[in-house]
Amino acid sequence: MLQEESDLSLIIAQIVQKLKGSNLYSQLERQAWASLQRPEIKLESLKEDIKEFFKISGWEKKLQNAVYSELSVFPLPSHPAAPPEHLKEPLVYMRKAQGSWEKRILKSLNSMCTELSIPLARKRPVGEQKELLNKWNEMGTDEPDLSLFRPVYAPKDFLEVLINLRNPNYENGDSLSFRTHLGLIQVPLKVKDIPELKECFVELGLNIGQLGIDDSTQVPPELFENEHVRIGQKVLAEQDSAAAQQYIRQGSPTALRAELWALILNISSQPEDVLYYEQLKTNVIQHDLLVDSLIYKDVKLTASNDDYYFVFEDYLYQVLLCFSRDTSVLSHFAFNSASPPKSYIRGKLGLEEYAVFYPPNGVIPFHGFSMYVAPLCFLYHEPSKLYQIFREMYVRFFFRLHSISSHPSGIVSLCLLFETLLQTYLPQLFYHLREIGAQPLRISFKWMVRAFSGYLATDQLLLLWDRILGYNSLEILAVLAAAVFAFRAVNLMEVTSLAAAENLAAHSEQFCTAPLFPELYRVQIPCTAELRQKEECSLLDSKSHSTEQRS
Amino acid sequence: MSRVLVPCHVKGSVALQVGDVRTSQGRPGVLVIDVTFPSVAPFELQEITFKNYYTAFLSIRVRQYTSAHTPAKWVTCLRDYCLMPDPHSEEGAQEYVSLFKHQSPSVTFPKWLSHPVPCEQPALLREGLPDPSRVSSEVQQMWALTEMIRASHTSARIGRFDVDGCYDLNLLSYT
Repeated sequence: MLQEESDLSLIIAQIVQKLKGSNLYSQLERQAWASLQRPEIKLESLKEDIKEFFKISGWEKKLQNAVYSELSVFPLPSHPAAPPEHLKEPLVYMRKAQGSWEKRILKSLNSMCTELSIPLARKRPVGEQKELLNKWNEMGTDEPDLSLFRPVYAPKDFLEVLINLRNPNYENGDSLSFRTHLGLIQVPLKVKDIPELKECFVELGLNIGQLGIDDSTQVPPELFENEHVRIGQKVLAEQDSAAAQQYIRQGSPTALRAELWALILNISSQPEDVLYYEQLKTNVIQHDLLVDSLIYKDVKLTASNDDYYFVFEDYLYQVLLCFSRDTSVLSHFAFNSASPPKSYIRGKLGLEEYAVFYPPNGVIPFHGFSMYVAPLCFLYHEPSKLYQIFREMYVRFFFRLHSISSHPSGIVSLCLLFETLLQTYLPQLFYHLREIGAQPLRISFKWMVRAFSGYLATDQLLLLWDRILGYNSLEILAVLAAAVFAFRAVNLMEVTSLAAAENLAAHSEQFCTAPLFPELYRVQIPCTAELRQKEECSLLDSKSHSTEQRS
Repeated sequence: MSRVLVPCHVKGSVALQVGDVRTSQGRPGVLVIDVTFPSVAPFELQEITFKNYYTAFLSIRVRQYTSAHTPAKWVTCLRDYCLMPDPHSEEGAQEYVSLFKHQSPSVTFPKWLSHPVPCEQPALLREGLPDPSRVSSEVQQMWALTEMIRASHTSARIGRFDVDGCYDLNLLSYT
């Protein structure tokens, strides 16, 4: 038996195993039983007839979508000898760093508990439960005293940890040499270069239509927009996840976006899902968590202050408070380098039967966490659906932005990709910023950690998140961050301080994301010598380059 | 055919280096690890499994005894097998690797078929799909394994985060 074949069998076996526990499985079983009534199902050819029935009725497509979803989310089965922690994170030093970071967070939370004399969790008295239930749709009107609470950490603190990451086996000498990393990230992870990015993001090429550029008012809709919308409607009619994921790489029409994202994330609001959400709501009513106050504080500090998102404040509480109680989120820790914090029931310290996770979903929110949810409020208004979409986005993508891992979509790789792109293609700018004490990553880090939420206008942000879904990767965040610097290169060369650089770069809202992607590719085109001449011009003669962009 | 672990003795690695080993300037790029098998009975080696630690390329040589009268020969089974596609980056640096022996009629020079590096995407759907009966037996095996794990897992309370309705917590635990 060749190894590749047994690998495939193992993957299939794993997927079947996972799906066996799902709603879809029981639905398929019920449908199969019900189909026996149908005249076209004959006993002699039972198996084939039922398969045919599934194909015609659309159930096979639902199964395909579920399989596709599993393949997108769960990593391939690893070597049989590999322990579970290897699947979380293969590099030992990264695991250790994540462990130390987590310990610091736990200590911080514990000290907050002791200082404020507030328990991590408590059961609400009946009166308080009733009150909260009545206020459920307007929790934003509550003005609890949050002055004593502070966020457990901010992206800045996390960046310091990443800067200090070292591979103990990596020798790059004490003296500055060509091998020393000029940027802040000092670990030698493999990141894509521009030729590889071009290959990967081929649909973002200059010769392919994009929503965000080619649907602007100057461009006649017959050229691209109409056809693209038509294809989108067809994809939705077919209910094909894989096709939707491919389609959305060129951006999603606003009217179709909510459905397309739900299709790609394989989310269909079943009665069981609504019930599950209601159960989570009950958990919120019954138990009060310290983490709730952190969530309140975060929403008040970030989303409520944002022009685009303050209207959704109540939704944010309804999603995030429930999220903290959702134990189904725990399963993603199998492939997350992070681990859920542990605690013991009061008085039962050390007794494993009384060991629990805290919060129940194992995720401690940090400053800005609510911004992962805010943009979704534009798309989904039904709380349980909004909740499901956010949860799926978190366990597929967002968790990688605040845990230390070597994954290509992990924040460490994104930082390194950003720095490498900038150093390679804008070396003068990189050197200049470094000289004035404005390391570019210090400016762009917060953009990437929040997936640009709050830093881009919402319509632009949703176009960006279209691509995250389409490519099933967060690398686009690093590319965009580098493109922002490329776009502002001329002005950035003139700044003399970190503050000025931050200020300049922060006004990102004034331009579109979509044109920025071809912008970066324009920096290097693998072509004949003649074209190479042109592109060298555009690097040196940045003034004409940027005026060209603005028109 | 059942497979068993063959007891072996793995010696410490020795650097292959020209000149004075004590100078720190020249760091050796090649290390040799000797593996001996204390058991006298001959066996057919099926699989070698190990965890890599920053080795980029691997060569394996075996000393084979063909018959009692001819002296043992060193045979190269694997030459410069790539474990790290880019030795300057972390890809493959700490991966678990298995090397297999492919069934081959030739006895003196075994052909080795290697396990694809785990970070590569396996070529899904080559010619045709795997045999369904084999897949279903794999599924049954996995099912049995999951049941075993589920039985031994103490904290698998699906959906419930409390213990008998109680979620009164003191502090977070550091262990």
